[in-house]
Amino acid sequence: MSSLPILELRAVGKSYGANRVLKGIDLAVTRGEIVSLIGPSGSGKTTALRCMNFLEAYDEGEVWIKGQLLGYRSAGRSERDRDSEKSVAEVRRPVSMVFQQFNLWPHMTVLGNVAAPLVLSKKTTKADAHKQALAALTRVGLAGKADAYPTSLSGGQQQRVGIARALAIEPEVMLLDEPTSALDPELVEEVLSVIRSLAQDGMTMVMVTHEMSFAAKISDHVVFMEAGQIVEAGPPEQIFGNTRTPRLQQFLKPWFDRSLTSVAGVA
Amino acid sequence: MNSFLSLIPRFAEAILVTLEVSLLAAFIGALGGFALNALRLRFPRWLAGPYRVYVWLVRGTPYLSQLVIVYFGLPVIGITMTAVQATIVSLAFYSAAYFAEIFRAGWASIPRGHMEAARAFGISRWSAFRSIEMPQAIAFAIPLLANQTILVIKESAVASIITVPELTMTASDIVASTYTYIAPYAMLIVCYWLLTQCIAVAARWAQALITPSRKTS
Repeated sequence: MSSLPILELRAVGKSYGANRVLKGIDLAVTRGEIVSLIGPSGSGKTTALRCMNFLEAYDEGEVWIKGQLLGYRSAGRSERDRDSEKSVAEVRRPVSMVFQQFNLWPHMTVLGNVAAPLVLSKKTTKADAHKQALAALTRVGLAGKADAYPTSLSGGQQQRVGIARALAIEPEVMLLDEPTSALDPELVEEVLSVIRSLAQDGMTMVMVTHEMSFAAKISDHVVFMEAGQIVEAGPPEQIFGNTRTPRLQQFLKPWFDRSLTSVAGVA
Repeated sequence: MNSFLSLIPRFAEAILVTLEVSLLAAFIGALGGFALNALRLRFPRWLAGPYRVYVWLVRGTPYLSQLVIVYFGLPVIGITMTAVQATIVSLAFYSAAYFAEIFRAGWASIPRGHMEAARAFGISRWSAFRSIEMPQAIAFAIPLLANQTILVIKESAVASIITVPELTMTASDIVASTYTYIAPYAMLIVCYWLLTQCIAVAARWAQALITPSRKTS
């Protein structure tokens, strides 16, 4: 099996004026792998994720998707020419995204939302797009809501539509930006269970999350970031069981305390 | 009452003139405003300055002065128009600034995330403009567009000064020749009210047509 990364970040950096929010991020994601980005707010996790599909234009380093450079015409560190919007779209095509705020289009039905990327960007016929969209909706258990409008759905349902939309384009990598952070606590589980089932099917995913227990169970690789840098990265056994850096220990302490209490409570 | 009803034929002619002038002007103005906003979105840098100057000039001066410049001023540089043409041109020029601002508000009402999602899913800028931004912006703008159209209808009364035979001019004529005020001005009010009500009803109908029924199935 080829272990060539499907998505690779090399020394990716990003600054807003004088504020350098990403300071050289290296990350390689291989096919079928699930990578979680964790860390305190403002650590740059979401920015890093958004650089992976060039929603955020990184200004140092390189992002490679399936061996193609994303966003720029040439590699290297000095002044570079931005690629045309069309070529960026072409390179990021295998990558889809799930947003924290869902970002569904409220004037379209659920089916319309899921089919729109296919109808509007690819040369699919409308009938085929709808068939594919319906299959994706079935996958997240919302085929029955195809004709409803997003605003009539619960937050959890809206996010499942967001996931269906990301699935319908048949991506090779899915980026998930805090997919459960905007949800009421009792709605989190329905979204997590959909993500879990995608993981079981071998979907490659990069996820920014605050759900530590979930990240511990589902991930192949966990990246802990702070202040725009990767502080510690490794398999979940290391990150959650055999933490090496004091900063990560400190970050995880509330979660450890909580899980210990709950284990004690059960026992 | 008889004198009131006897005014109907003349006002019926005049209402058509007002309708023609103001609807044409509002239509051209709305198209112009839409185009201006679309250009502003596409070429934000170099267009921002001229756009702001235009809106600033049009909104900062009375429509009457703009009409006078078009009707009496432009002939100086060789552009001569009939009174009706001058009214349509100046009223379109005037209302386009307001329409452009309405469309700007419509576009500003769309959350940033909607366009990010479009980009992330490889939807081109043009497709996103047409299929994601435009339907939402227009739905937002309909009441404001109707409101602006009503203002254009009422502003067209200014054209009576350059002898366009529209409603206000007709009322003034009748007053001047019969020395009766109540009947012609009552008729004038009824005519404007009828026109603006038609716009309001049309707007409500358009809103219902493009707002999707919020099914809760």
